Amino acid sequence: MKRVIALVLAMTLCGAMFAGCQSTPAASTASKASEASQSAAASEPAKPAEITVVTSYGGDDGNRANYEKAYKAYETATGNTVKDASGTSNEEWKSKIMADFETGAEPDVLFYFNGVDANKLVQGGKVVSLDEIRKVYPDYASNMRDDLMVASPADNKVYSVPVNGYWEGLYVNKKVLKASGVEVPGANYTWDQFLKDCETIKAKGYTPIACSLQEVPHYWFEFTVFNHDTVVTHTKLPAASSDATGKEWAAGLNDIKTLYSKGYFPKNTTTATDAETFQLMADDKAAFAIDGSWKIGWFQQNAKSIDDFTVTYVPGANQRKATDIIGGLSMGYYITKKAWDDPAKQKACVDFVKAMTTDEVVSTFGATAVTALKNGTTAPSDADSLVKAALAMTKGATGIAPAAQDGLNQTARTALFADIKNVATGKTTAEKAIDACLAIKG
Amino acid sequence: MNSMIYKKKTPLIIFLAPAFLFMTLFLYYPFVMNVYNSFSNITGLGTAAKGMNTPWYLNFTKLFQDPIMKTAMINTLLLMLMTIIFQVGIALLLALLIDNIKKGTQFFRTVYFFPIVISATALGLLFNLIFLYDGGMVNQLLLKFGVTDMIDWKDEAHYLFTMMLPVMWQYVGFYFVIIVTGLNNISPDIYEAAEIDGASGFKRVRYITWPLLHNVLCTCLTLAITGALKVFDLPWIMMGAGMPMDKSWLTGTYMYNQTFTMGDVDYGSTIAIVIVVTGVVISQIANRIFKEKDY
Repeated sequence: MKRVIALVLAMTLCGAMFAGCQSTPAASTASKASEASQSAAASEPAKPAEITVVTSYGGDDGNRANYEKAYKAYETATGNTVKDASGTSNEEWKSKIMADFETGAEPDVLFYFNGVDANKLVQGGKVVSLDEIRKVYPDYASNMRDDLMVASPADNKVYSVPVNGYWEGLYVNKKVLKASGVEVPGANYTWDQFLKDCETIKAKGYTPIACSLQEVPHYWFEFTVFNHDTVVTHTKLPAASSDATGKEWAAGLNDIKTLYSKGYFPKNTTTATDAETFQLMADDKAAFAIDGSWKIGWFQQNAKSIDDFTVTYVPGANQRKATDIIGGLSMGYYITKKAWDDPAKQKACVDFVKAMTTDEVVSTFGATAVTALKNGTTAPSDADSLVKAALAMTKGATGIAPAAQDGLNQTARTALFADIKNVATGKTTAEKAIDACLAIKG
Repeated sequence: MNSMIYKKKTPLIIFLAPAFLFMTLFLYYPFVMNVYNSFSNITGLGTAAKGMNTPWYLNFTKLFQDPIMKTAMINTLLLMLMTIIFQVGIALLLALLIDNIKKGTQFFRTVYFFPIVISATALGLLFNLIFLYDGGMVNQLLLKFGVTDMIDWKDEAHYLFTMMLPVMWQYVGFYFVIIVTGLNNISPDIYEAAEIDGASGFKRVRYITWPLLHNVLCTCLTLAITGALKVFDLPWIMMGAGMPMDKSWLTGTYMYNQTFTMGDVDYGSTIAIVIVVTGVVISQIANRIFKEKDY
C-alpha cells in the first residue's frame, strides 16, 4: 500500500511539474477558430471576455489617468475586463514586449511603435493588418484618415491605429529665465542665441539644460542632428560616419559635446537618471529641457504652478528653422494574431481599440495638431497655459519630421545612446560611436 | 523500521526522481543549451538562432577583447573581497560583541537581521534617495555641516563605495545570525574553565571562540564568495547600466544588459558561462583553503 501511495505521490509531483509546460492547441485550431469567429463575430453578441492590454501609458506617463478612465468606460460599456499590463516606454520595455511575443506570452492588444521596432512582429505574423480586420469589421478605425495611418516599413501595410500624434519641443522654466534676465524663446530662436542664453543662465547659478546623458540623451540627439539636416532628409540613416548623413550625425553629437564641455548640463548628467534631472525643472533649478508631448502630464502633476512653464521651439541652426519640429504618429494599437484567432476575444479586442480611438478619447490624450482623426482633435475647454502653448507651437510648425532614431533597430539605438555620454566626455569620438552603432545588425 | 527503508532503494529512487527530473529540466538542460547558445547567433530572447557564429568561438574571443567585461570581472572580484572583509568581518565582530552581553541579545539579532527581509528593490530605492545628488540625505547633511560643494556619490571617485555599501549592509545580518548560532553552540563550561585559569577576554576569543567557530566561518566564507558572484538586484537598481561611464558593471548586471536590453542573447550566454565557471573554480579554491576541521 505504501509503495502505491509513494508511487502516486511521485507521479503527481512529476505531473505537476509538467502542468505549466502544456501548450495550447493554438496552431492546429487557430485557422478553424478564425474562420468560425469571422463568420459570427460582427453579428452575435459576444460573452464578456478578459483581454490583456499592454501600452506605454504605465508608470508616471502623463496620460495614465486618461487611459485608465477610457478603458474603465470601455469595461462598463461592454462588460469585458481589461487586464492592464502597461509600462513605461523605454528600451527595456520594448525588449520585454519582444520577449513576450517570442515566447508566446503576447498580450491581446498592444499599443506600440509602428516603425522599425515592430518589424519583427509584422514579419513574424504576430499582429493583424488593418485590411484583414476591416474585412470582418468594415468600420474599424473609420474615424481615422487612412493616408495618415503609418504603414509598417516591413511590408508597407497598416497594422496599428494611432491615438494622438507626438511632438518634441523645448520645455522652458519661465521663472528661471526671468531670474536670469533671459527672454522666453520664440519662433526665431537660433542656436547661437541659445548658447548665449545658456551662458547667462549658468552665470546666475542655474542649470541651463535638464538632461541625463546617462539615461535619456535621445531628444538632444534628435534636434542637434536636425540642426544639420532638413525636414526632408532627417529620417535618412547614414551608411557610415564618413558619408554626408554620417557627417551630419557627427556634427550633431559634437554639438552635445560642446554643451557638455561648457557645463550647461547638470553636474551629474553622466550619473543622474532622467527623473532626477527633470526634478531640477520642477524645483526651479534648471531652465530648458527637450521632451515629448507625453511630458505635459508630468509638468501638470509636478509643477508648483503650471504657468511657470511653457513649451516652445527648439533653437534652430543652418537650414533648419526653429519652427521645424520633430513629430508624427509613431505609435498605435495593434491586435495580436493570437487574440484575433480566439473567437472569445476577437470582438472584445476590436471594440477596445475602437473605444480607445474615438474622437472624444483621442482629444483627451493631449490635443495636438498632429493627428490622424478626420475631424481633428478638440482642444479641451479647460486647457492650461502649457497645453495652450503646445497647441500654438504645433499649429505654428513649418515642417514636421519623424524622429531619425526610429529608423535604427533597438540594439543599435541602445548602443548609440549609451555612447553619447562617452562622446560628450571625450572617451570616444562621434564618428566611432556612429560606426559602432551602424555595425549592429538587427 | 528505519533500516528497512535504507535496504529497499526503490522508494528512495521514487522520491528522488521528481527532484532529479526537475533539476535536469530546469537547470542542467538549460545550462547545456546555454553553452550551445554561446556558439550561435541569436538576436532576441526566444528567437531561433540564425545559425552558428563565424567562427564558432566568436563570443569567447570577444569576451577577452571587451573592455566592459574586464571592468565587470574586476568589480565582481573586488566585491567578493569586500564581502569577505566587511560582510563576514563585521558580522563576526557584531556576533562577538552580542555574545558578551546578557540583555537585549534578541533585540540586536532582529535589528541586524532586518535588512535581509526587505526586498533589494526597496533597498535600492532607499539608498538612491540617501545618495541622491540634489536633495539626497547625505548631501543635505553635508550642506548642514557647511560643505558647499555637493558630492556626486555615483561619480567615478565614489561609485564603488556607493554601490558596495548597501550590498555589504544588507547581508551582514545573514552571516551575523549564522555566527551567533555557532557561538551559542560553544559550551559555557569551556569559557568558565578558561576564566578560572585567568584567560583574558582577548585570549578567550583567540584560543576558544576562534578555533571552535572555524567551521562556521568556513561555511560563511564559502557562502559569501559564491553569493558575491550572483549579486545583481541592488547594483542594477542603484547604478543601472554601468553608471558612471561604464565603470560599475558586474558580471551579473552586464549579462542581463547584453541579453535583455541589447538583445545579444548569445553573448549574454557566454557571460553566463563565465559566471558559472568562475563560481565553481573560486568556490572549490575556497573550500580547499577554508577546509573544515574536526576538533
